[in-house]
Amino acid sequence: MEINEKVLKSIIEEVLQNLKVQESGITTSNDVADLKLSSVGPAAVGKRKDEVIIGIAPAFGEYQTKTITKIPHGKVLKEIMAGIEEEGLVPRVIRVLRTSDVSFIAHNAATLSGSGIGIGIQSKGTTVIHQKDLLPLSNVELFPQAPLITLDVYRAIGRNAAKYAKGESPSPVPTMNDQMARPKYQAIAALLHIKETEHVKQDAPAEELKVIFE
Amino acid sequence: MKIIAGIDIGNASTETAIGKVYDDNKVEFLGSSLVNTTGVKGTKDNIPGIYKSLKKALEASKISMEDLDLIRINEAAPVIGDVAMETITETIITESTMIGHNPTTPGGIGIGVGISTPINQLQGMKPGDQVIVLIPKAYEFNQASKIINDAWDRGIEVKGAIAENDDGVLINNRLINSIPIIDEVNLFEKIPLNMLTAVEVAHVGHVVEVLSNPYGIATVFKLSSEETKLVVPIARALIGNRSAVVIKTPKGDVKARSIPAGEIIIVGEKIKRKVDVDDGALALMNNLEMCSPIMDIQGEAGTNAGGMLERVRHVMASLTDQSHTDVKIKDLLAVDTICPQKVQGGIAGEYSMENAVGIAAMVKADRLQMNIIADLLQEKLGVKVEVGGVEAEMAINGALTTPGTDKPLAIIDMGAGSTDACFMTKDGNVKLVHLAGAGNMVTLLIQTELGLDSFDLAEDIKKYSLAKAESLFHIRHEDGSVEFFREPLDPKLFARVIILKENEMVPINHQVSIEKIKLVRKQAKEKVFVTNALRALKQVSATGDIRALDHVVLVGGSALDFEVPQLVTDALSQFGIVAGRGNIRGTEGPRNAVATGLVLVK
Repeated sequence: MEINEKVLKSIIEEVLQNLKVQESGITTSNDVADLKLSSVGPAAVGKRKDEVIIGIAPAFGEYQTKTITKIPHGKVLKEIMAGIEEEGLVPRVIRVLRTSDVSFIAHNAATLSGSGIGIGIQSKGTTVIHQKDLLPLSNVELFPQAPLITLDVYRAIGRNAAKYAKGESPSPVPTMNDQMARPKYQAIAALLHIKETEHVKQDAPAEELKVIFE
Repeated sequence: MKIIAGIDIGNASTETAIGKVYDDNKVEFLGSSLVNTTGVKGTKDNIPGIYKSLKKALEASKISMEDLDLIRINEAAPVIGDVAMETITETIITESTMIGHNPTTPGGIGIGVGISTPINQLQGMKPGDQVIVLIPKAYEFNQASKIINDAWDRGIEVKGAIAENDDGVLINNRLINSIPIIDEVNLFEKIPLNMLTAVEVAHVGHVVEVLSNPYGIATVFKLSSEETKLVVPIARALIGNRSAVVIKTPKGDVKARSIPAGEIIIVGEKIKRKVDVDDGALALMNNLEMCSPIMDIQGEAGTNAGGMLERVRHVMASLTDQSHTDVKIKDLLAVDTICPQKVQGGIAGEYSMENAVGIAAMVKADRLQMNIIADLLQEKLGVKVEVGGVEAEMAINGALTTPGTDKPLAIIDMGAGSTDACFMTKDGNVKLVHLAGAGNMVTLLIQTELGLDSFDLAEDIKKYSLAKAESLFHIRHEDGSVEFFREPLDPKLFARVIILKENEMVPINHQVSIEKIKLVRKQAKEKVFVTNALRALKQVSATGDIRALDHVVLVGGSALDFEVPQLVTDALSQFGIVAGRGNIRGTEGPRNAVATGLVLVK
């Protein structure tokens, strides 16, 4: 198929149209109600060896409430936290405000984590498991194709992060690869990322969050 | 003065030694090389490997092809080894337990006994009922724990739970009273309902005590002495698990069944014996010794054992252009091993370690086509090529260049396909033997016992030592020592057991502990090389007694291994034998023995 400027424009317009419909849907939807995040001050460096920090992106659960495949953020966070708890560790949630880059969010979480293991997650669903000694753009496990991550995978990500924190050698969570995910979701992914980046506050410290599921 | 190249074509590697032979028979070695053998040993396919090896050695010697006066290749022992694995037991469960199911994170601690009841039927139970709750995937942990807490409020005694999801800890964390919970049960719908069920979970780092004891099960289910006899296999199978479930059903049973793997017929010079592969490695090896010297070994037609032996025979027949019936299997090494097999009838996708027998077979033909290779080589290189002496004799000549050795001397050549031994008396008489089973057999044992899907990974595990990347800046070696790094390691190594190759660290993406791999590796090497060293020396010793030998030099590719020589040296020292890794010409280590011997031929 030939892609010229005109076609591209029409695709973007269509996506924007859809997005507007979605946004109006989000505000009236009661999915927002199932996750309550309240800030309890700046996040400190953890002293507990048995904690894994989940770092969420600036808009997560607040300005955006669903991933790219419309999984409610409450459910995503709950599965990751459950995965950590099932392994006998304690999840701690922080919001990273200074960046919307998933690698930097995860690395920020890892450096604050008592175990040195952190998970970073963007509003669109892209997730990374990180370790504090690694360079920010490196990672322990990366799940780049957000459209392919299901709730089971989020559970497994939490579980694996906890296992790394325990010093075990888990098999990496199997990641899927779909050639069509890129053309299908690229435009909307870019838009979601831009909308996330709008909420970045430069030089702001990460916030410790209290999480309540209702 | 003549410049001679000795080339040794082995099962796995082709080696060259180049030496200047002066007129007074003094030899000055110029260089040597080692490359992988191309094709099956003794075939035309070897030529590319020979050429590469020769070229490398010439470069090392700083001379060119035209300087060579003679190339001598070995009269390779016409021996081919092959290996195969046969499982001889299997475990079948008929709806009574989850044997081998050992979820990593069960919930709660203790033992609970009650009637197995689906969570949606909890409502209908009466106060005082003792139940084990079955929680399917559809019920998430919040919901499930709430229902159980409510049931407790109404006086229903929930004693334990079985969950389909990996939710054991999550559910237990939300309960008022802690109960044992087994999770990750794949075929959840197959759990029998309304049956008396016992669930046991031990503390982290401990193992179940009640359900792994036949009398424990008898106490829980109030069994008679006759019935207790029947639960022994169940109890046995649960030993070593952190959690266990036993369900009392009218027909529930566990059977350990042996699979008919076929018979092997050993034809000796005087005796002929039939041995069932099911009887295990020891029976096979004992009978083999009894029948010695072996004329041929046959497998029962139409069985797995037969198929494997015939395959080896067929390969050898086509290689040497001989008829199928002329090729004789002269030796066999059988080793008892275990391999993980899926339990039949299991409801959680359990595995059980089943008994298996690994077999290496060795085939001998009249001769290989070495002369054809020599002619082809001569034509291509324009250098005179001759086929030199017997491989084992050359090896011993080469081994004698090891400082500190003298005749009489025995060598053990530990290769990839076969283990050869040779003994040279003071006056130069030579006795030699080829035995089945060497490096490839060790790799196969490692692969099956660890349940690896790749032969190459098993090969790496065999060859290199292990470590664990505990942080990005330090690794802990298998002996417990720590090594630090300035630069961070590759993140894909983080928290993994890694293989320390020469210039590379390779992660093992399997959930096996470093201790387990180390144990399996060492045992596999002992089972093959120590057994074969003793077997081989017994056969070459003039008196049939190992103690008659004084010095044994270990050569060949597997003698390069970082632990095989120690294991063999240790085993032989118990017989008062001095044994050690050879050091050919004082420089080459245990390699290049045959090639060196070929240059030294007078």
